Amino acid sequence: MKITEEIKISDNGFVFNSKTGDSFNLNPFGLELIKQIAEDKDFASTRDGILEKYDIDDLTIEKDYYEFYALLKHHQIIAQGDPLDFN
Amino acid sequence: MEKLKYEKPVISKITAGVPNKFGLSAKQKIISEIDGIPVSKLMDEYGSPAFIISEKTIRDTYAEAKRAFETRYPKVQFAWSYKTNYLDAVCSIFHDEGSWAEVVSGFELEKALSNGVNGSNIIFNGPEKSEEDLTLAINHNACIHIDHFDELYLLIETTRKLNKKARVAIRVNLDAGIYPIWDRFGFNYENGEAWNAINRIMLAENLEMIGLHTHIGTYIMVASAYAIAATKLSNLYMAIHRKFDHWLKYIDLGGGFASKNTLKGAYMPGSETCPTFDEYAEAISNAIISSEIPHENLPVLFLETGRAMVDDSGYLLTTVIANKRSTLGRRTMVIDAGVNLLFTSFWYNLGVYPSKEVSSHVEESTIYGPLCMNIDVIRDAINFPSSKVGDQLVIERVGAYNMTQWMQFITFRPNVVLIDLEGKTHIIRKKENLDSLQSFEMNPKR
Repeated sequence: MKITEEIKISDNGFVFNSKTGDSFNLNPFGLELIKQIAEDKDFASTRDGILEKYDIDDLTIEKDYYEFYALLKHHQIIAQGDPLDFN
Repeated sequence: MEKLKYEKPVISKITAGVPNKFGLSAKQKIISEIDGIPVSKLMDEYGSPAFIISEKTIRDTYAEAKRAFETRYPKVQFAWSYKTNYLDAVCSIFHDEGSWAEVVSGFELEKALSNGVNGSNIIFNGPEKSEEDLTLAINHNACIHIDHFDELYLLIETTRKLNKKARVAIRVNLDAGIYPIWDRFGFNYENGEAWNAINRIMLAENLEMIGLHTHIGTYIMVASAYAIAATKLSNLYMAIHRKFDHWLKYIDLGGGFASKNTLKGAYMPGSETCPTFDEYAEAISNAIISSEIPHENLPVLFLETGRAMVDDSGYLLTTVIANKRSTLGRRTMVIDAGVNLLFTSFWYNLGVYPSKEVSSHVEESTIYGPLCMNIDVIRDAINFPSSKVGDQLVIERVGAYNMTQWMQFITFRPNVVLIDLEGKTHIIRKKENLDSLQSFEMNPKR
């Protein structure tokens, strides 16, 4: 799922949504992750890259990734799909 | 190549508007040890959750209160409020420091006696005293604080049956500027009920009137209210002398001093706003000393301070069970200690702190207990750093009421551990188990 067109992300972790007027701060790792999501990188390759670079286990990455992803959806940074589309 | 330190990804919405009332956020407080013992060691040894009580804090707090009053008033006697925390080990510390016992039921009276307190050093308060309780109190020469006329007549009847004298005081309720007035206990000052009760007692053959008692409320944040109460009791004290040529032995101002916990809805933290022992002592001592009581006949000043005396000494160690997000995106956290252990969480914003260095990022969070009940909320809004499952946390200022008002519900009640003055730890109440609970049950055979 893509980052919506209205979202602008600066190099220091500031995020602005021109549609809603909301703005956000990212911590350094949040910025790294959102960039990978913006590049449409899938979870598996994102996870492998993090495992190689950071001192962390795969299950923690998975938990944190999906929590972060859910928050991006909640803040309308990622386009919302139909939540009841179970296909 | 050495790997980089990982930090959980975070995105926070920037909210414009009124800035934080305390300005820039302070550094996150961490409680990594209690009286020099690492929290992790305590949890390894005694499990999670676990209540920890610091003997040093109890004794230091007692010394502070004693100094505040004894430097301002010549005759002061503290009585330990059993209902605040009646674990034997805790009561014993207060008795060792010189406190009498203040009890409010037959059960508490028995407990004080079993703790070795001399009956004449027990104050028996409360609205429910059976004939059996009164008999026990009379036989041990306890000071019985009469709550209502029915109790007064039951007491007269009991002393006749026993053919013994009882030492008594009355509880007086009065308007000290604290609203709502606690008028459900004792005899009212303003409408003359207290004076009527005194007159009846002074006529009773077997009752020896020795004191006056009031308890104006709980968590009283205005020290001057005690001055009003002390003045009104001093008036009664002098009225008794004038009419009956009788000097009482004491005036008991009860308890109700605020602890440093923060009440829900309070704008500023309790540690900033609650009066100190010195402020309470100044108000009470000045009122009695400047009353018309001659200095050579000043009564002993009794204080039944519970909450302010023991709250700071208690900690609850707990562990993070889960992190979740609500449907509104709000961060929530589940810990293994619930409201069944923390009765005071219903009216305090209890301080919850990590036990080791954490991420500098904090987020407004809700902290839930482990109970399968919607009311199990320890903090509904707290700025808290990100935590992971298994992180050990410390909840501070839980020494008052939680270990008496707790209930066994869904989970077992945990170990209570005392750290003594030498830094040694002792279990002072064992964690419950299925056997201990079922020992009270009987299942009829069918």
